[in-house]
Amino acid sequence: MAGRGKPVTDEDTLTGFLLGSIGELNKNRHPNFLVVEKDTTINEIEDTFRMFLNRDDIGIILIYIAETVRLALDAHGRSIPAVLEIPSNKHPHDAAKDSILRRAKGQFAAEDLR
Amino acid sequence: MEVQALREELDSKCLQLLSDLEELEAKRAALNARVEEGWLSLAKARYAMGAKSVGPLQYASRMEPQVCVRASEAQDGPQTFRVIKANAQIPEEVGPSEASLRRRKGPTKTKESGSSVVPQDPLNWFGILVPHSLRQAQASFRDGLQLAADIASLQTRINWGLSQLRGLQRKLKELDPGPA
Repeated sequence: MAGRGKPVTDEDTLTGFLLGSIGELNKNRHPNFLVVEKDTTINEIEDTFRMFLNRDDIGIILIYIAETVRLALDAHGRSIPAVLEIPSNKHPHDAAKDSILRRAKGQFAAEDLR
Repeated sequence: MEVQALREELDSKCLQLLSDLEELEAKRAALNARVEEGWLSLAKARYAMGAKSVGPLQYASRMEPQVCVRASEAQDGPQTFRVIKANAQIPEEVGPSEASLRRRKGPTKTKESGSSVVPQDPLNWFGILVPHSLRQAQASFRDGLQLAADIASLQTRINWGLSQLRGLQRKLKELDPGPA
């Protein structure tokens, strides 16, 4: 499967990754990114995230505002598309809330290692 | 004994998982550093070109990606992700030594006659002669893309390792109930 990176992020990070030549805006004007501004609603972010999850040409989703889609993110169990939580100057990466690290932490309960 | 072999396999899986987690944290730190470099370069470019010159208003009305992600799955193991050029020849990417399967959906697209057009460099959205800091920003974020693909592969491997570990623990509980 050939996919594309999908940035859902703030302005500077989005501009930077689009400079990396991963942006796509086809003739139907369907972008593979979402510019999140002050007036962007959480519902809009969630809908866009779920749409990206369901597209079959997507391999990796880059997202920084992971808290707003935490439920959809934790419910996503497939390996494709992979969801990467990337840093933002307003939302630094919090390892305690990372899905991968939380699953790994839950694996090492004391009873299971006895 | 079967229980002993199972315990040894469990230990090796645990060690592999922990080393993968350590590698994940290292790559995360590297990605953070690259993105921060990119932000700084973008700020310098904005300082040189004007505050309104670098931003979503300058995005092209039509974009064609120059890089895309290829997901490959080993016959027994997790998927890996690689960032490749969008116009790369697919047969050249797959050598006979690569024992991996590529997931395909639908028939292969027939190449259009216009596919020979060179994709536009996103730098040109912001002007013909752009400052060096904008090129530096582009390089930083391109390095970040490679790191992102590595992190995606690591996340997939960690999830796969976690499921393997859980299966082994369940099997061990069946064979050896333990002190309880």
